[in-house]
Amino acid sequence: MSVYIQGIGNISIQNTFNQTGFPEPVWYNEPYVRCIDPDFKPFISPNESRRMSKVIKRAIASAKASIADSGIEMPDAIISGTGLGCIADTEKFLSAMIDNDEKFLQPTFFIQSTHNTISSQIAINLKCHGHNNTFVHGGISFECALTEALLLFADNKVNTALVGGYDEMTPSYFKLLDRIGLWKKEIASSAELNQSNSIGTLAGEGSVSVMLSDKKNEKTYAAIDALEVLYKLENFETAINDFLIRNGKTTTDIDLVVLGMNGDVKGDEIYKTAAANLFENKAQAWYKHLSGEYFTSSGFGLWFAANCIKYRMLPTYTALNSKSAGAFQNVLLLNHYQNKNYSLILLSAC
Amino acid sequence: MEALISELKEEIIKVLNLEGVKPEDIDNDAPLFGDGLGLDSIDALELIVLLEKNYGIKLEDPGKGREIFGSINTFAKYISENQKK
Amino acid sequence: MPKQVLVTGLGIVSGIGISVQETLASLLTGKSGVGVLKYLQTNHKDIPCSEVQLSDVQMRTMLSIPDSVPMNRTSLLGILAAKSALANANITPNKALRIGFISGTTVGGMEKSEQYYKDFLENDTRNEYIKIHDCGACTEIIADYFGGFSYVSTISTACSSAANAITLGSNLIKQGILDCVVAGGTECLTKFHLNGFKTLMILDKVQCRPFDATRAGLNLGEGAAYIVLESEESVKSRNAKVLCKVSGYGNACDAYHQTASSPDGKGAALAMQAALDMSGLIPSDIDYINAHGTGTTNNDESEGVAIMNVFGNTIPPVSSTKAFTGHTTSASGGVEAVISILAMQEGFLPPNLNFKNQIEKLSFAPVSKLRRNVKIDHVMSNSFGFGGNNSAIIFSKLQEIK
Repeated sequence: MSVYIQGIGNISIQNTFNQTGFPEPVWYNEPYVRCIDPDFKPFISPNESRRMSKVIKRAIASAKASIADSGIEMPDAIISGTGLGCIADTEKFLSAMIDNDEKFLQPTFFIQSTHNTISSQIAINLKCHGHNNTFVHGGISFECALTEALLLFADNKVNTALVGGYDEMTPSYFKLLDRIGLWKKEIASSAELNQSNSIGTLAGEGSVSVMLSDKKNEKTYAAIDALEVLYKLENFETAINDFLIRNGKTTTDIDLVVLGMNGDVKGDEIYKTAAANLFENKAQAWYKHLSGEYFTSSGFGLWFAANCIKYRMLPTYTALNSKSAGAFQNVLLLNHYQNKNYSLILLSAC
Repeated sequence: MEALISELKEEIIKVLNLEGVKPEDIDNDAPLFGDGLGLDSIDALELIVLLEKNYGIKLEDPGKGREIFGSINTFAKYISENQKK
Repeated sequence: MPKQVLVTGLGIVSGIGISVQETLASLLTGKSGVGVLKYLQTNHKDIPCSEVQLSDVQMRTMLSIPDSVPMNRTSLLGILAAKSALANANITPNKALRIGFISGTTVGGMEKSEQYYKDFLENDTRNEYIKIHDCGACTEIIADYFGGFSYVSTISTACSSAANAITLGSNLIKQGILDCVVAGGTECLTKFHLNGFKTLMILDKVQCRPFDATRAGLNLGEGAAYIVLESEESVKSRNAKVLCKVSGYGNACDAYHQTASSPDGKGAALAMQAALDMSGLIPSDIDYINAHGTGTTNNDESEGVAIMNVFGNTIPPVSSTKAFTGHTTSASGGVEAVISILAMQEGFLPPNLNFKNQIEKLSFAPVSKLRRNVKIDHVMSNSFGFGGNNSAIIFSKLQEIK
């Protein structure tokens, strides 16, 4: 059963908020970049906003943007994916607990620190009593949220659903992930993130809210035809072929493959090999040099692919080869996290 | 008392992150909760922490909070009567 | 015709036992796990909690995990419970059997992160623990202990996490995506959330009294529990023993306040009603409700009102077992699923310990004494989390598989 992308709200390290199509790219020359935030006042009252960390404000603003974009005022379900949850508040509470020897701790930081605060704050804001869930599974948290949404649609439990990928990258957590080798030591320009033969990537953050519906109309970006989330694969290419066959397709049917490459020379190997072996004559693109890497960056990937389909174009700075064509009927989105978790998403034009 | 009231307003604004609110905006007798400043149960807990951390007064029963934190005046009065620091 | 979701295995570790047998014995003898903190290193040792009576060293030994392998208590508890569930179901995970592992947790690796946080910031001595801080990493430690899982995921909706893991697992089986899912949750005690709940002033200084008019808060607990969900085809193909089926579930959001439940328990009522609707049962079909019943002034009244609104004049026996196990937060949906299924299988109503005075607003009192030889065909288990994440699951006896 296909489900339709009717609206998207995207806050990222690019000027993506309340923009139609692809904004002019911003290139960075440092390994840690924070979001370009909108003014949150139109979306959140001062009384609510005073407690909220960036990740929650962004989630609400992007959710409201997806509502405005789609014209769907009240989703039947709200499902979020987040790798770290409300890490800023977690750090505040944790640091205070350690520094003050478990005394005089502030409840607000604890309350706001739980991962499901994002989904529930959106629900409180919209007064939405529908199905509400939060997935916290590293680099495929967004895809897990999307999986559950598709299950609910297939079971006729919902007609609409708001699915989001939300993560903030605090300076402290950037430091922690730097210790375990996630980031590049320096970046000449993020435009060429995949050119240096080194490990590590660009640290970003973001908030993507996608409004889905079981009905399409003139607002529709694209259809999500199928999604698979897999754990510990023997062979990525076999999995891709099997996935396509299960959905009545072969590699020949794919017009554009969007890869979750992030410039880490080791992690990107698997994408390059699959692209070369299966999609040599197809348009290939990537997006993480725009979004930066964070646990739910695949949400940005979905925004990217959906816009490619809706506006029938591939920005030149995202093309990995010269096979770009005008309109894309079938698009395959591939992502992996630490070569342990994999996601494959099949989109099509309506 | 005036110094305490002034200090209390600054602390409340800081701890509750009342952006855009200035001490002079808070009327000493206006209700802090509900319609007044619009504070809620989480704020009451924050003020209980403030009471202990800044003034050494430990409030065991959160239910008493609403009464004590009724207004800036009732809050200041409670502190001056019970302060240990 | 949607596929049936059958339960073929149970595994549980908590303050009242490190096996299903021990858990059952404690429930039948009124033995609570709430007591003085023994393992958690905190300045607040005076707060009564329910701890699993095993040190990390003991768990590593039981599971043959060498000291050199980075591990946290949440994952250790999870491995123990999952191992027990898989053994009970007589399953070894492998890729041929399309089997998933879905775990609910909120603390994840925080138990170690809070000990090593200064090192995380200042030096490279604890980098291996940075890698296993997040919830997903903890779930993968458990999954990788066994190997063979095709789908691994983590849900974090506070106190309804494990319940939502069970409902997701059920959905995946109903739609034929997986044949089998080990679903539930795990949470160890941490200074982080002990202090967090303390700031909310909802911890009782003594053993909690769910649904009692004088209740003064909850006791935190730790634990892990998983149930094995399976499709009919899978059960038939390996001639598995079926314990019961998942006949309905509901997930609804209270959308009222970040920590408080609405006075009319709207979200809770919606979740319970949705579970009934899916199961095709009417309120009077439910033979026992294992309530969320934390012992806080807010939850118990709100949940009670919701039960009254959904069940009207046909409120079944209700009890909370949190005075036994403590509130195991993200694991509670799994812990209480196992307890609910045990109650149904063994035909008993677990007592709601420490109850004396009925809440004025409620039309019912919980079951305060153990009742045996009770016919339970359908049991409802409630899990209501902070943020208004409310879930209810109905487990039913299976008459027969045709």
